[in-house]
Amino acid sequence: MTQTIIWTIAILVILGVVLAVVLYVVAEKFKVEEDPRIDDVEKVLPGANCGGCGQAGCRAFAQFCVESEDMDKCFCPVGGNDVMQKVAAVLGREVAAKEPMVAVVRCNGTCENRPKINEYGGYQSCRVKAALYSGDTGCSFGCLGCGDCVQACQFGAISMDEQTGLPVVDEEKCTACGACVKACPKNVIELRNKGRRNMRVYVSCVNKDKGAAARKACKAACIGCSKCAKVCPFEAITVENNLAYIDFTKCKLCKKCVAECPTGAIHAVNFPVVKPKADAPAPAKPVPVAKTEAPAVISTGGEAVVEKSVKKEE
Amino acid sequence: MLKTFSIGGIHPSDKKISKDCKIEVLPVPSKVYISVAQHLGAPATPIVKAGDKVLAGQVIAEPAGFISAYVHSSVSGTVKSVGPRKDLAGNNVIHIEIDVEGDDWAEGIDLSDDIVTEIPEDNKAILEKIKLNGVVGLGGATFPTHVKLCPPPGKKADCLILNGAECEPYLTSDNRIMLERSKEIVVGAAIMKQVLGGCPAVIGIEENKPEAIKAMSEAVAELKKTAKGYDGISVMPLKKKYPQGGEKQLIDAVMKRQVKSMGLPIDVGAVVQNVATSLAVYEAVQKNMPLVTNVLTVTGDCLPMEKQHNYKFRIGMPLSYIAEYAGGVPQEAAKIISGGPMMGKAIANMDATTVKGSSSLLYLTAEQTVRGVESACIRCGKCSEACPMGLEPFLLQKYARNGMMEELEENAIQDCIECGCCLYSCPANIPLLDIIRIAKGDVIKIIRTRK
Repeated sequence: MTQTIIWTIAILVILGVVLAVVLYVVAEKFKVEEDPRIDDVEKVLPGANCGGCGQAGCRAFAQFCVESEDMDKCFCPVGGNDVMQKVAAVLGREVAAKEPMVAVVRCNGTCENRPKINEYGGYQSCRVKAALYSGDTGCSFGCLGCGDCVQACQFGAISMDEQTGLPVVDEEKCTACGACVKACPKNVIELRNKGRRNMRVYVSCVNKDKGAAARKACKAACIGCSKCAKVCPFEAITVENNLAYIDFTKCKLCKKCVAECPTGAIHAVNFPVVKPKADAPAPAKPVPVAKTEAPAVISTGGEAVVEKSVKKEE
Repeated sequence: MLKTFSIGGIHPSDKKISKDCKIEVLPVPSKVYISVAQHLGAPATPIVKAGDKVLAGQVIAEPAGFISAYVHSSVSGTVKSVGPRKDLAGNNVIHIEIDVEGDDWAEGIDLSDDIVTEIPEDNKAILEKIKLNGVVGLGGATFPTHVKLCPPPGKKADCLILNGAECEPYLTSDNRIMLERSKEIVVGAAIMKQVLGGCPAVIGIEENKPEAIKAMSEAVAELKKTAKGYDGISVMPLKKKYPQGGEKQLIDAVMKRQVKSMGLPIDVGAVVQNVATSLAVYEAVQKNMPLVTNVLTVTGDCLPMEKQHNYKFRIGMPLSYIAEYAGGVPQEAAKIISGGPMMGKAIANMDATTVKGSSSLLYLTAEQTVRGVESACIRCGKCSEACPMGLEPFLLQKYARNGMMEELEENAIQDCIECGCCLYSCPANIPLLDIIRIAKGDVIKIIRTRK
C-alpha cells in the first residue's frame, strides 16, 4: 500500500519535471520575437481604436510606428501632438508637430437659406437618400441632414441642430479622426486646420452648379463669382467648377474675402467680436441676404465658442 | 397549370386601371430637352451645338464607349443650348435643348403605317441598324440592345424570350402596345430571333392580360401563314406573380433554367427582350425609325377614369408638360412615380424630361406611400419566403448594418435584384431594401476591385 503511494508520487514528480523541461525548451525555441517597444507605444496611445490613423486599431498603429522609418507618416489624430511626442520619446526619435485639425461642415443650407422642394419619406440615412436622389432641396450637393456623420462619430462631437437641420461640430470633442468625412456621401465635411486661436476662414458651400442655379437653390450658396479670389492677397483661394475653395495652408486669416462674398458663403469663425463696431464682420455691401446671413454665421460657428476660446486665451 | 418562376415572389395587386385606354399621341411641345444619358453605360457625347438646325430622327449624340447608345432628336428645330439640367432624381445631366420648329423628319425614315413583314437577310446590317437607331432595352434597365443581341464567342442562344409579363401593378403601356401593335412586335421578335441564329422565340405574358395573349397569338398565327421566318414563335401565358418581369425569373418561368450567381442569361442560353424593345427593333430595322418615341401610362387611384391615359410620347418632353396635358396633377397625389410602384423611382423634379425608358407617371396618395414605424425583426421569415432570388433579407440587413462585408458576400447579396418583395412583405416595416441596396453596391465594388 505505502509502496504504491510512493511510486505514484515519484512517477508524477519525474513526469512533471520532464514535461517542464520539454515545455521550456520548446517555448525558448519557438519564441515569437516581438519588439517590446510596441507594448510601450500602445500604452501611451489613447486606446480609442477608432481607425482615424488609417490602421486597424491602436495596437496596429503602435506596430506601424515601430516599423515605420518615417515618423511623418504616423499620426494619431485623436491624441494629437502630445501623444505623438510621447510616442517619439518611447522610440527615441524626433517628431515634427503637426497642426491640429478639426472637422468642418461646409454647408450653410439651413432650412431658411435652402427651402425644401419635396419631402423625403424614406429611410433616414444620408447614404440611402443620396443613392435615391439628389435630396429634398434644390441643391444637389449640400448636406442631406439625416445624420450619418453623427452616427459615425465615436466621440460624440457632432450633433444635428434641430433649427438649421445641419450638423454642428463640437471643436472641443472633435479629434479629427475623419470618420465623419468618410461617412458623408456628399463630401460636405472636410478636415481643416484648427487655426491660430481656433480662428478659421472657409467656404461653407460645396455647390458646383452655375451661379444662378446655385443661388436659386440656396441663399447662402457660393456662386463662383471669384470676387474672393481676386481680393485675396495670399492667393489662397481658387475657384473651380463654380466653387471657391480656401487653401488653409495659405490663408492668413485676413478676412478680406468674408467681406467681399456677396452671398455670405465664406464663414469666419471664432474671431473675437469687436464690440464697438458690432456689424463689422458682416459683408460690407448691403445685399438682400446680408441680414439673415450675418447672425447665421455667428450662431453656427461662433458666439458660444468664441466666448469659450477667448476665455481660454486669458 | 400555368408556368411561373420557382422561388419566392408576391402578388401585390391586380390594378391595371388604364388597361382599356387607347394609346394617344401627345402633341409636340414648343421645347424639348433631350438627355444624353438615356441608357445604361457611358453617357453619349453631344455632336450638335447651339444654333444648329436639326431634323427629327437626326443623330445628336454619339455613343462614348462599347456600352453606350446613339441619341436622336425627337423633333425638328434649332438647338438652343447644350448643358447640364436636372434629371428626375435632381442630379445634373447634360441635356440638349431644342426649340421646336415644324415637324420635319430626317431622310430615309418611313413614316407610313404599313406593316413590313419581310425580314432582311443580312444580320450584320440588321445589327448595324439597331445600333445606329439607338435602340435600348425598354424593360427598365435600358441596356443597349445591339450588345445584348451579340452573344460572346462560344455562347449560343437557345431561346429568345419576349417579356410581356408587365408584372408591376398600374403599368399598362406594354399591354396596350401588345394589343395595338401586336404584328409589329412579332416582326421584331422574328428579326431578333434570326440575328440570334434562328432559335425559338417565346412571348411570355401574364394571365391577367387575356386580351394581349389573344391578340399576340392571333398575330403570330397570321404571320406564320402569310410570311417566311416566323416559325418557332409562340405565346406562353404565365401565372401572375411579381417579379415575373425580372430577367432571371422569366428565364426560370419559361425555360426552367436558373442563372447562377453573378451570371448572365446567355450563360444558360437565354436572351430576354421586352415587347417594347421588340417594337423598337421593328421600327429601327423595317422603318429605319430611330428610338425617339415610346408609350407611357398616366395613372393612379386618385385620377378619374377619363384622366387615365396611355400616351405615345417623344423623348425630351418635360414631365410637367405631359401631366398638364393629361389634366393636371391631382390634389390627392402625394408622390409621383416614374415606373411601377414596386421598382419605380419617385420623381423629385417635374421639370425633368422623358427618356427612352420612361414608362409611367403614377400618382400615389398619401395613404399609399406612408411608411410604417420600424419595429424589431422577429425572424418570421416572410422576407425569405418572398425573395425571388432565394436570399435571406433579414440576415443581410443585419450584416449590412454591422458592416460585415465577407458575410454579405457569402450570403450572395450581390444577387439581389432590388425588386422590393422583402420590403413589401415585412410586417415590422424594416427598410430591408434600402439597407441591402447600399450594401450590395459596396460588395460589388469590393468584388470588382479584387478582380
